[in-house]
Amino acid sequence: MRIGSAKQTYAADEAIFKTDVQRLWFGLLALALILFPFVSSDYWQLLACLIAVNVIAATGVMILTGFTGLVSLGHAAFMGVGAYTAAYLSNHLALPFWLSIPAGGFAAAAVGAVFGIPSLRVKGLYLALTTIAASFILQSIFFNWTAVTGGARGLTIEPASMFGHLLVTPGAIYWIAMPIAALSVWWARNLLRTRVGRAFIAIRDRDVSAELLGIDLLRYKLMSFALASFYAGMAGAVWVYLFRVITPESFRLIESIFFVAAIIVGGLGSVRGAIFGAVFMTLVPELLKIGASDLAPYWPDAVKLLSPVRTIVFGALIVGFLMFEPLGLNEIWLRIRQRFALWPFRT
Amino acid sequence: MSPALLDFVEFSLAGLCVGALYALTGIGFVVVYKATRIINFAIGEFMMIGAYFFFGLAAQASLPNWAAIILALIAAGTVGGFLERFIFRRLIGESAISVFMVTIGLASIMVGLVEIAWTADPRSLPTFLPDRPFFVPLGSAEAFLASKNGWSFIIVAAIMAAFITVFRFWRGGIALRATAADQQAAYSVGINVPGVFSFAWILGAITAAAAGILVGSISGISSAMGAIGLSLIVVVIVGGLDSLAGALVGGLMIGWLESMASLYIGGEYKQVATFVILLLVLVVKPYGLFGTHDIERL
Amino acid sequence: MRSDRRKILGGIGAGALASTFPAPWVRDLRAQEASEIPVAIASPMTGVFAFAGIEGTDGANHFAQYFNERGGIAGRKLRLIVEDTGYQVPQAVAVFNRLVAEYKVPLFLGDSTGFQKTINEEVNRRGLLLAGASFASEIDDPKKYPLQYMPGPSYSAQVGMLLKHIAATKKGARIAFVHSDTEFGRDPIAKSEAYAKTLGLEQVEKIVTPPGSFDVSSEVLKLRRARPEFTIFHGYVMAPVPEFMKQMKEARVETQFMGTFYSSDLGILQKMGDVADGYLGVNAYNYVNQEGVSGPAMDFIKKANGGKYRTNSYLQPWTNLTLGTEAMRRCLESGKEMTGANLKAALNTIKDYDMGGVIGVPISIPGNSLGVGRIFRANLKAGKMDPVSDWIRAEA
Repeated sequence: MRIGSAKQTYAADEAIFKTDVQRLWFGLLALALILFPFVSSDYWQLLACLIAVNVIAATGVMILTGFTGLVSLGHAAFMGVGAYTAAYLSNHLALPFWLSIPAGGFAAAAVGAVFGIPSLRVKGLYLALTTIAASFILQSIFFNWTAVTGGARGLTIEPASMFGHLLVTPGAIYWIAMPIAALSVWWARNLLRTRVGRAFIAIRDRDVSAELLGIDLLRYKLMSFALASFYAGMAGAVWVYLFRVITPESFRLIESIFFVAAIIVGGLGSVRGAIFGAVFMTLVPELLKIGASDLAPYWPDAVKLLSPVRTIVFGALIVGFLMFEPLGLNEIWLRIRQRFALWPFRT
Repeated sequence: MSPALLDFVEFSLAGLCVGALYALTGIGFVVVYKATRIINFAIGEFMMIGAYFFFGLAAQASLPNWAAIILALIAAGTVGGFLERFIFRRLIGESAISVFMVTIGLASIMVGLVEIAWTADPRSLPTFLPDRPFFVPLGSAEAFLASKNGWSFIIVAAIMAAFITVFRFWRGGIALRATAADQQAAYSVGINVPGVFSFAWILGAITAAAAGILVGSISGISSAMGAIGLSLIVVVIVGGLDSLAGALVGGLMIGWLESMASLYIGGEYKQVATFVILLLVLVVKPYGLFGTHDIERL
Repeated sequence: MRSDRRKILGGIGAGALASTFPAPWVRDLRAQEASEIPVAIASPMTGVFAFAGIEGTDGANHFAQYFNERGGIAGRKLRLIVEDTGYQVPQAVAVFNRLVAEYKVPLFLGDSTGFQKTINEEVNRRGLLLAGASFASEIDDPKKYPLQYMPGPSYSAQVGMLLKHIAATKKGARIAFVHSDTEFGRDPIAKSEAYAKTLGLEQVEKIVTPPGSFDVSSEVLKLRRARPEFTIFHGYVMAPVPEFMKQMKEARVETQFMGTFYSSDLGILQKMGDVADGYLGVNAYNYVNQEGVSGPAMDFIKKANGGKYRTNSYLQPWTNLTLGTEAMRRCLESGKEMTGANLKAALNTIKDYDMGGVIGVPISIPGNSLGVGRIFRANLKAGKMDPVSDWIRAEA
């Protein structure tokens, strides 16, 4: 319920929470996220952790692609850099997770910035292809640098520990993954309200004009790459604490595609879109799987015959959203919210 | 001829023949990009459906091989034309990345459909190439060239010749080049630009399907074979996205390079060698060896 | 136009959701009965290993039928819950978490080496028994993998059998390894190279192929120079093995081709075509269409499939389940709870057990693997595999 929100300052216009009702809803959401692990099973906790990881990474991709207009299909590889870094540091220097996760982020940021250099010279699709090349190159490094990455066998790590407790179950990792996801989202949302965020958007809308406005393209494009890769690296590091095994096959090109697909389905150009996209794209295949296995008692071959259908649905979602709802889930959300904006006074 | 030189020649021949296949796939990719500025990420899946159509017609419907090949190419071309007409034409004006993602979505759909129609079992294609190897005389020695490699090279050369003829002399080919050069101008001189788009997609799909049938005859087919197409994206990055000559040179070069890596350092370094070249190209000529670098004006 | 589009999209969405919505309801209705023993299977039904996953699912379902027809364990019936993993570790872990929590399964069958390694600690923590489609040498170690087992000899044991066969056929023979540059492909190589040396075999070439590459011509040129008398493939299912064989034949390299479990299936070899005739493969099981093979299990398989050939990926979960259910039976009969440790202990008591025709000799499982295998020669004209050795017990 909202009865108008007249704004009197520019600051108010930029505020994240515009009304108390929003604050209330947000508080309820936060409460639900805190209570979630107490009422859910291992499986849903694992999914929640996966969603948190995907939200972190998708938010990064959103900064890069949705706000700066630079397309990266190498994000899974940057995630891999973060994951390997965290695993290596945890194994060799016995770094605790609260140091190794950010370390993974910084390592990925450095690598991402290096691979972002071509973005100064190439744009659009060429850049996308360049990042695919980055992903191939990194993959090959993961595979062949046996001393650090363990080669084809990969690495295994000890569980993270907090106050003497080993964080083994997804339910425990949730307390790492979800706060980091929340912080990431919060930080990304705030970034947009700063000079840097506005510079990103200016570059996205027209890089040449942005440069004329005095925005240093070199600096901001690399910054965007580094930031996005930092997010990816953090996501990868959380991922590695969740699964505790990492192999070169963990971060393939298809995962990068997944993130870009997620932000498109979610809605390009808003942090909320990244969240929606990550949640939706993680849950839909799982729900379809549950659906198929629930049919199994009545139709024994359901799982077998419906499995390819899931592959098709994944593709159809991407194509369908781009053709029929190019602004994504975020747009649908806004429409719904609009409809209830004046409820119950006017419906 | 010294053994070392014979090694070099023999491995080079093998590499160039494989490179010809890379080039063919690259061309299927470039044709579409040149005309429509769409990056067809589903190129590997077009290869896959071409190979499966051939498999269905030759092995399951037991048509003679030549008829099956022709029908498979026609069918693949139809799919390409259909997708252009009903999906990509509607997306004209959308951002390049959206269209790119649509091709990714289509790739996934095609994989699912193939798994439903033909299951996920790996299969072999019927042999349609003679299996007598070539022995290329080199002074006192002979260089061995596996039959499929030799034949693929010959077939690809023939397709290339056809391409060059079409683009040089046929009206449609010239229209395609005109559209690639300047869409607005092409419209204003009365070129049927949507027609050109359809033509490019059909041609791209047919080329990819031909490559798919040839690759499938070497490696067998499966619903996961689209991944091969993906790894060939390296070829067009090196050659340049919008250059047919680039795809040709890039393909041959990478094929040759892989073979050299295999000869002198070992098969496991094939990919690493490719990536080193890729990095060099990206740093020195990010638009590829032959790609056009668009100059933007405000 | 706009609203049409939304309707279509809504349709897709609603369809996707509708197919999942029965979930909570149905689940309540089919609350677990105490008379059932649930076993969960994570199987790759999409992705690169889909062919094996689908065969395996059929094998598992037929086993459940066979087992239940024969009365289960003291009247308790086996109930399988199968899910797709797409051959991806995170998906398999999600399946594991869900099914183990929901059904409290005592036995879980996984889909890949990667998954079995990933989940190992979790398996130890929750205390259940795990087996799967992996023959990774690493998993054949009861200390590191205390609650896992594998339904055959490990890859290095398989290659070891082939090497021993070579050494018995020809002293000091020239051999070559051809393997893929994947975890699966690299698995037995180092160990096997050392073993070949102790057997006095001369290794003349080692070919490593990058994953996903279809071209083998430069590798064949190398093999043409090395002229191995025996060529051992490992780490492939089908491609690029047939192309290696074809081109080596063209290049007139006189060599005996050999391979491990996945590329030794008759169905796969038949798809490879005539070149595969005479190929020597090591298998952990009998072939379904092999003559003179019978026993209650094999007879049931033949009848259930109406003479249709089934691959060795079909027999793999069959064997896993045979061993797993036998462990459960022993566990329950001795009045113990079905925890992972109890089940593994019961599994290790299996000695000289008759597999009902699936394996030609009585088997024992003292550690983590079922260490017997047999070498067969592809006789494609007759459409079958002829045994060329006795059942061999794996050393190492």
